[in-house]
Amino acid sequence: MGLTHRPPLDRRFWELKGYHFMDLVSPCLNLGTAFFVLKHLEERWAAVGYSLSRVDAVLKEVSRRCKVTLARRPAPAGQPLPPEEEARLAGRILSGRILLLEEVGRALAENGVRVTAELADLLHYLYLQGECELRPAVGFDAQGVPKCNRCGQGDKLYRSSCGACGSTHCYVCEGCLELGEARTCRALYARPGAERAGMFPCRTVSPVLPFSLTRAQEEAALQARTFVEEGKCPRCLIWAACGAGKTEVAYGALAAALSRGKEVLYTCPRRETTKEIYRRLQQAFPGVEMTILHGESGSKYAPAQLVAATTHQVLRCYRRFDLIILDEVDAFPLAGDGRLYYGLERSLRPGGQILYMTATPPPELAAQARRRRLPVIYLPARPHGYPLPEPQIILARGLRRPMGRLPRPVVECLRLSLNGDGASLLIFVPAVDLVAQVVDWLLECREFEGLGDWVRGCHAALPERETVLAAFRRGEFPVMVTTTLLERGITLPRLNVMVLFAHHRRIFDQNTLVQIAGRAGRTSSFPQGKVWLVADRITPEMAEACRIIRSFNRLAFQRGYLRAVERRQ
Amino acid sequence: MGWKDWLFVRDKECFICRRPGALGYLCPSCSRTLKTWEQEFRPCRRCGRLLCKEYAGELCPQCGEKLPPFRLARAVGPYRGELRRAILEFKYRGRRSLALPLGYLLSRVVAEEPLYGRPRAVIPVPLSSQRLKERAFNQSALLARELSRLLGIKLLEEVLVKVRHTPPQAGLDRLARLQNLQRSFEVVESSRIVGLDVLLVDDVLTTGITAAACTVALLEGGARSVAVVTVATSLF
Repeated sequence: MGLTHRPPLDRRFWELKGYHFMDLVSPCLNLGTAFFVLKHLEERWAAVGYSLSRVDAVLKEVSRRCKVTLARRPAPAGQPLPPEEEARLAGRILSGRILLLEEVGRALAENGVRVTAELADLLHYLYLQGECELRPAVGFDAQGVPKCNRCGQGDKLYRSSCGACGSTHCYVCEGCLELGEARTCRALYARPGAERAGMFPCRTVSPVLPFSLTRAQEEAALQARTFVEEGKCPRCLIWAACGAGKTEVAYGALAAALSRGKEVLYTCPRRETTKEIYRRLQQAFPGVEMTILHGESGSKYAPAQLVAATTHQVLRCYRRFDLIILDEVDAFPLAGDGRLYYGLERSLRPGGQILYMTATPPPELAAQARRRRLPVIYLPARPHGYPLPEPQIILARGLRRPMGRLPRPVVECLRLSLNGDGASLLIFVPAVDLVAQVVDWLLECREFEGLGDWVRGCHAALPERETVLAAFRRGEFPVMVTTTLLERGITLPRLNVMVLFAHHRRIFDQNTLVQIAGRAGRTSSFPQGKVWLVADRITPEMAEACRIIRSFNRLAFQRGYLRAVERRQ
Repeated sequence: MGWKDWLFVRDKECFICRRPGALGYLCPSCSRTLKTWEQEFRPCRRCGRLLCKEYAGELCPQCGEKLPPFRLARAVGPYRGELRRAILEFKYRGRRSLALPLGYLLSRVVAEEPLYGRPRAVIPVPLSSQRLKERAFNQSALLARELSRLLGIKLLEEVLVKVRHTPPQAGLDRLARLQNLQRSFEVVESSRIVGLDVLLVDDVLTTGITAAACTVALLEGGARSVAVVTVATSLF
């Protein structure tokens, strides 16, 4: 029993296998509904035991339950099957992927494969042979509740009448729309990745680095290597301090996996980061077949042993990778997004491993790590061997909005930055509209009047934010006010950081504060960058952020990763 | 969904900036942004395409030459910025849930423009069956459905049909557009629209040729008058 879009094809296939009768039991249904009906039929038959005499009774029962008229009709005569070798080619392209029909077509075109048969027939033939799996892009569970089979979520589905299948209950998934419409009437074709043997050669691969690793990095890299070589735990977390060089640590795990001929995915949420990582990986692992996948990348379907991809693209992979390295687990699109985790799990081969990397693990991972369910590799020290700057909390009672005179301690901090150590100052505020207000507020301050254009704002809604940011990087003005937009991804050699209104708990949670604090003191020329949290009161999040940073410093000190300098109190 | 979501109803999200705090699908600041064109432009009295402010209350040169067959056309705003992005998402990416907010914007246009009077039926610009198969949905029909629901006007989806498949209007010049659409719309059940004031719905009005072709078909089918409403319109 199965489903088909073209009965003659199935008829021919089964005739060749030695079967002589075939009945059609349902009218033409859209794929999701057909799947639902099929599941019910199979279940029912499994319960009552299959026999020809019971067929009609079961059909009747299932028709009633699924509200579809089912009755036996003879199937039409067979038609010739599509060419075997074309099916094999399509199968090879599909291997390790889960794709819509059009995407398979694009993949074939991209690899220069021309097929004469209709693509849907070709893929159906593969399905009949058991070479690929077929499922509706949006399916129904046993209760008839729709769920997207590509991204795995069920609450961003939109029901409408569909011009393609004619049904009035066709669901479209808006959770993964940017990868093409997943609809109830569309098919997803999935094929697990190739068996490992012979796919990629086993040889010793070691990363080529222009510098040597610090002791902290070496030890962490060794642990990562062991994690892959032993292959005992399915998941692992590299918990690194901001700016500690965790990518280099991941190279340890990468090299171990590549040496064994395993397929590896390096994924991070943002396209820019992915491109950057791809470049670095190319330099570190010359001679390894590598490809990059993101929304605008050219070749999406080339075979490769090492893939750098944005996390969205992972939704197109199917049981392909032995090791997945997930960078910046907690960065914007990924945080709290179940569908991407779903995609990650699905793109792993059975027995594959995931290596999470972050400076600020999301709560669920942190909790697992605390309960020792998730092994953790700590990387507490930066390459330059100075401790992380610990935030100083500055209490300014009654500081709720940018009004009145600047609080005295804030002026002190500004003076220190502007006249003292010659570092730029980045001021974070919790809301977009506060940016302009705070800029005005600072400009009103008498003390700094002679400096001219010394403070500017930058936020996501600002059209010229790139130019402002570039000017700030060049040091054209010393103070910039910004939102959490720049929480990560900015590195300036000499930087102090201030968080204004740090008591806004919803915006400045502990992870955000740790990331912000991680902007300071990144280079050996200026490791003593300051971090000030200016707030009305001390929130639990502020205390927690300070605690995390302090515990990193303590760990680094205990392990002897720090230079022989005094620990700051 | 956790228990908190049941206890505390969250604010609606603004469909443009996706921040919570929307009143009727739009947050106040995006609502203001959508209206900024009003400082620079005024719609043509007839076709609603946007002219410089100095021409307030006048006809655009094209309408001055020859009046279009529809009674009037208005739009939410010009085809640019956030509105354009929303339409592209909606039409080409297939984000169907945008029908709701866009339909709401359309309903505001119809409600605020007294010239519309009280139309008796909402009719979407149809797609050819071939295009419908490709795209799987008719963006105008989704908009019309929301509009009819919000305004409480009858929706007549099957009355106007496109009988001939034509290449998309976008990318053609005016003359080619005219020829492209000739005799491609037809009314099938004229008894349902005889004597009615009809509201025609589309996503974008650029040259107004599609709207005009539909209008001609509807008038031939017996409609008393046709008014047009679109999400976006072009600048003159």
